[in-house]
Amino acid sequence: MLANSSGMNFGRAFIYALLGLFALLYLTPLYVMLSTSFKDIEEIRSGNLLALPQDPTLYAWSKAWSSACTGSECEGLAPFFMNSVKIVVPAVLISTIIGALNGYVLSKWRFRGSEILFGALLFGCFIPFQVILLPMARLLATLGLANTVTGLVLVHVIYGVAFTTLFFRNFYVGIPTELVKAAQLDGASFFQIFRHIFLPVSIPIFTVTIIWQFTQIWNDFLFGVVYSGPGTQPITVALNNLVNTSMGGKEYNVDMAAAVIAALPTLLVYVLAGKYFVRGLTAGAVKG
Amino acid sequence: MGSLLIDNVTKSFGDTKILKGINIDIDDGEFLILVGPSGCGKSTLMNIIAGLEESTSGKLELGGVDVTTAPPKDRDIAMVFQSYALYPTMNVARNISFGLEMRKVPKIERDKVVLDVAKLLQIDHLLDRKPSQLSGGQRQRVAMGRALAREPRVYLFDEPLSNLDAKLRVEMRTEIKKLHKRLGTTIVYVTHDQIEAMTLADRIAVMKDGIVQQLGTPDEIYNDPANMFVAGFMGSPPMNFIEADVVEGDVMIESAGQQYKLRLPCAEAIRASGKSRIVLGIRPEMITEPKPEELSGWLHPIVMDIEVVEPMGADTMALALWNGTEINARLSPKAGKSAGKGTEIQVNTQFAVAFDPATGERIR
Repeated sequence: MLANSSGMNFGRAFIYALLGLFALLYLTPLYVMLSTSFKDIEEIRSGNLLALPQDPTLYAWSKAWSSACTGSECEGLAPFFMNSVKIVVPAVLISTIIGALNGYVLSKWRFRGSEILFGALLFGCFIPFQVILLPMARLLATLGLANTVTGLVLVHVIYGVAFTTLFFRNFYVGIPTELVKAAQLDGASFFQIFRHIFLPVSIPIFTVTIIWQFTQIWNDFLFGVVYSGPGTQPITVALNNLVNTSMGGKEYNVDMAAAVIAALPTLLVYVLAGKYFVRGLTAGAVKG
Repeated sequence: MGSLLIDNVTKSFGDTKILKGINIDIDDGEFLILVGPSGCGKSTLMNIIAGLEESTSGKLELGGVDVTTAPPKDRDIAMVFQSYALYPTMNVARNISFGLEMRKVPKIERDKVVLDVAKLLQIDHLLDRKPSQLSGGQRQRVAMGRALAREPRVYLFDEPLSNLDAKLRVEMRTEIKKLHKRLGTTIVYVTHDQIEAMTLADRIAVMKDGIVQQLGTPDEIYNDPANMFVAGFMGSPPMNFIEADVVEGDVMIESAGQQYKLRLPCAEAIRASGKSRIVLGIRPEMITEPKPEELSGWLHPIVMDIEVVEPMGADTMALALWNGTEINARLSPKAGKSAGKGTEIQVNTQFAVAFDPATGERIR
C-alpha cells in the first residue's frame, strides 16, 4: 500500500515535471517577445535575450500601433487592425449562422441526397487553401469584388461554412428528433423550431464555432495577401510587411510589439472563452 | 368531431413495405390501442396519423375531413412521446403553453390553461422547474399536460409509460383511463404491453408485419383470436399451443402416459376442415385443479405430471408436458403446493381454440 502510493507520487511528480517543461517550452518565446517589446533598441543590442527590460518603455508599442512603416506607408498597424476587424466580424457571424442552419437542416430535416450533400460539404474541410487561389481570384474578379473587404469576407465565409456546418450538424445530431416532432405538432414552423428549441441549447457549439472561425480568419495570411488590395490588407499581411520593411537597422522591439498586437485578439478570445471551448468540444461526447 | 378513418394506408421505403394496407375506423371518443412486436409498423402508423410522415398511398380522414396531406399543425392532434420530448430549455409552464403560444393564443388565456392543466395533473407546484429537474413520473405528467393544453380532437400516445418503473406505470395507467373518461376525447395509443392494452382499450388493433391481424374489443382479442399470432401475443403467460391429432373432430392429448380426448366448441369445424392434425390453443387459466362447483359441459378431468411449479402469489403456474410440448397450467396456491407426479387436473375447453398448423389461421 505504502509502496504503491509512493509509486503514485513519483508518477505524479514525473507528469507535473513534464507538463512544466512543455509549458516552459511554449511560454519562453512569448516571454521573449513581451520582454523585448518593452526594451529600447540599445538594450536589445547590448543585453541578454532572456533578461527583463531594465528600463521598460512603451515606445515600440506606440510605434508599432501608429507609425511603423508597412511598405511605403508609415501609419503603423492600426488601419490594418481595423481592416481585420471589418473582415473577421462579418465573416465569423455569417459563416456561423449559415453553419447553424445547415447543421439544423442536415441533422433534423433530412431529404433525398442530404447525406451526399453533407459528405460534399465535409470534403470542403480537406481542400487546401492553395488549390482554390486561382479560381477564387477569377470568381472575385467576375463579381467585381477583387481587392475588397467584401471579397475577403465572401472567401472566408465560403471556406468556413464547411467547418461550421460540420460542427453544428454533429452537435444537433445529439438532440432528439422527437423534439422537432413535438414542436411540429405544437404548430411551430421551421424557423420557430430553430429559434425556440435549437438556439437556446446551442450556446456551447456557438462558442466553439465562433472561437474556431475567429482564430482561423484572424490568423489567415494566404487569402489576405492574395485577395486584398492596398487599403484592405488584414493585419497578418501588414505584420509581414512591417517586419520586412527596414529603414536602417532592424527594430526588433517594434517587430515584437507588432506581433503581439496581431496575436492579441485570438489570445484574448482563448483566455476569456477557452473553458467554454473545451466544454463545447466535449459536450456531444458525454451525453446519453 | 374526433372520429378517425384510416383507409387502406400503406407506407414503403424503397422496396421495403412497412405498412401493407391498414384499415381502421375509430369512433369519436374511442380509445384505440395499437399493439404488436417492435418493427410491426405501429409507430410508423402513428407518425402518419400525426402527419409527421407521409403515407405512400391511402387516405386519412379526421372528423370526416380528408387530412391525408395536411401538415401536422393543421390536424388538431396532440401526441405524447415515449421519450416525453420536453423542450429542455423551457420550464414546465412554457412547455405546456408552447403549442398555444405558437397558435397565437393570448398570454392571459395561456396562463389560465396552464394552471388548469397543471392542477388536473397535480403538477402545479412544478411550473417553474426545468425538465431536467423533474423525476420520470413528473416528466410524464408534463408531457401529458402539453398534449392536454391544446384540447385537440385526437390524442396520440406513443408508448407513454414504457420509461416508468412498474409501480408508477400502473398508477399512470389508471390516471390515463380516468382522464379519458373525463375528457371523452379520441385516443390512439401505441404499446407493446398487453396488460396496458387489455385494461385501457375500447378496441385493440393487433399488428404484425405491417398488417392489422385483428381489430376487436379486448374480450374478442383475448377469447376469440383470429390466428395464432394474436392468440400468442395477448395474455401472460401466453396461450399454450399443442400440436395434436384429430379423431372425429376431437383433439387427442397425451398426458402422464395416458391418452385423452378433448372436445372443443369448434369440433364441427375441425371435422369439416378434414385435417388430421391441428394446433390446440388453450389458455393456462383453463387448466386448473378440479373445481367440482363449476358446471360446464366442457370440463375434462385428466392426470398430469407437474414438473415445475412457480408460485406467483395469487396463483401458481405449473409446467407439464402434453404431447411432448411444455404447457402452463394455472393452479391455486394451495393446489400448487401439493402438485407433482400424477396430479389430478381439470381442463375446461369452453374457450379452447384450434389453428391450422400450416397457416396459423383459426379453424372455426
